[in-house]
Amino acid sequence: MIGRLLKSDFLKIKRKGVWLLTLIGPLGVVCLQMVNYSLRKDYLLQQSDNDWHFYLLNVHAFTPLALVLGIVILTSLIASVENETNAWKQLIALPVSKMAVYLSKFTVLIVLLLTSSVLLLIFTLGYGLYLNLGDSVPYTSLIKFSLYPFAASLPVLALHLWIALVSRHQGIPVTAGVIGVILTYMGYSLPDWLIWKWPALMNDWANPDIVVQLGIGVGLLVYLTGMLHFVRKDVV
Amino acid sequence: MDYVIQTNQLVKQFGREQAVDTINLAIPEGEVYGFLGPNGAGKTTTIRMLLGLMKPTSGTIHIFNRDLKKERISILKQVGSLVENPSYYPHLTARENLEALRKIYQVPKSRIDEVLAIVKLEDAADKKVKAFSLGMKQRLGIAAALLHEPKLLILDEPTNGLDPSGIIEVRHLIKSLPAKFGITVLISSHLLSEIDQMATSVGIISEGKLIFQDTIERLRDHAREHITLRVGDSMAASEALLVRGVHAESRDGLVFLQEGSDTHVAQAVRMLVQDGYNVYRIEEAKRSLEDIFLDMTKGNVL
Repeated sequence: MIGRLLKSDFLKIKRKGVWLLTLIGPLGVVCLQMVNYSLRKDYLLQQSDNDWHFYLLNVHAFTPLALVLGIVILTSLIASVENETNAWKQLIALPVSKMAVYLSKFTVLIVLLLTSSVLLLIFTLGYGLYLNLGDSVPYTSLIKFSLYPFAASLPVLALHLWIALVSRHQGIPVTAGVIGVILTYMGYSLPDWLIWKWPALMNDWANPDIVVQLGIGVGLLVYLTGMLHFVRKDVV
Repeated sequence: MDYVIQTNQLVKQFGREQAVDTINLAIPEGEVYGFLGPNGAGKTTTIRMLLGLMKPTSGTIHIFNRDLKKERISILKQVGSLVENPSYYPHLTARENLEALRKIYQVPKSRIDEVLAIVKLEDAADKKVKAFSLGMKQRLGIAAALLHEPKLLILDEPTNGLDPSGIIEVRHLIKSLPAKFGITVLISSHLLSEIDQMATSVGIISEGKLIFQDTIERLRDHAREHITLRVGDSMAASEALLVRGVHAESRDGLVFLQEGSDTHVAQAVRMLVQDGYNVYRIEEAKRSLEDIFLDMTKGNVL
């Protein structure tokens, strides 16, 4: 059932600019460093002994914001596909379970964001190689900096998807989205337990692996809560 | 008789408001069932419950003699629906809209062309639905509802907002469905004339209560003409007629004759005159279906 729903959901996002956004996000993050490094490469290379690591940190400075911004825009786009003409009443009257409908929407977003993260990895590596930052490419760090923020942002994704899929008015998800982006932007000065801070992988927990585990765990919890709410809710 | 839809004491409450109040629908197979009621009477709420979009507060729904609560998914495989305004994806073409549903129903691709032909949208198949007129969107909605060859079609106000030619087209289409495809149709409307031209059975709902449910003929029976006589003493006069075997009753100081043929009226008048009653007026009062509908929905008993 979920496979059929996924095929249908991917068809529905055609011409919505969703895939373009998936590309633009990681491209934008790396482009900022292209500007940064083309303007003051010498200065930046002086800042640390490990040029690759310093470059990755620079790229990562903008990853959380781009990621949360992407989550907010993509969740509201996905929801708007059904909200626009209240296609929910057609979708839920199909012979599919409401849980599968919700899971399918979530999976579409996971696929999109994971694609973005992999693209981020490729673009980061590509420009890093172009910059000629040293012979030993730190592949482990590269993978961590590209994919960990995605895993750490799962609670944010689950929460914004929940809000977008159960809200009758666009205003609520938009407001929540703006708040989410602002919180991510201010992440530096926020307490560690706030989920919008997690994609930055900054905390006093010493090990970024913990953020990933927490992200997956809490993300699953928020996802299940949202799904149960969606299943119980009447379609108006 | 086999019933396609049966509800038992169906109730839906929104807060303190009883939107649907202990409704027992019984929709026989192969009929076009007109579900009639003023706006806000509970039609759409009932239909949403029949499609599993809303959960009943209490009561049960059986479709194809199966419990909707337990077998929702297998029941919905055989149900097509169009609820209120058509639902569609404006950025997709008509064909893509149907394809998005086809992927879920897993019917052969050829069905898309078939249903587009049924609703006469072949020429617009590859145009974006955004550019469609309301009538075309409505027809696309019906095509979507027919895609998986359902046995039951539930249409909520399908002619709402259509122009007269659109209404006629949709009406013809709906009327042809039971005979052509063996589909039972439930169609709701707030317009009696609409139902009168399509339905074979009727249910009338008002303020959440089902106040009439029978064949359209039985409803039309209520619309028969009545002959009223204004006479000196209506009570005594109607009794005098009854004694002589003429069906008459006295109401509001008038005598009502149940048989309206010329000979019956002449006979009744002759009897009254012979018995010495003064006959002031003989009038024919014809009640339209609209009058009956209004009477019923205002809470008057027939």
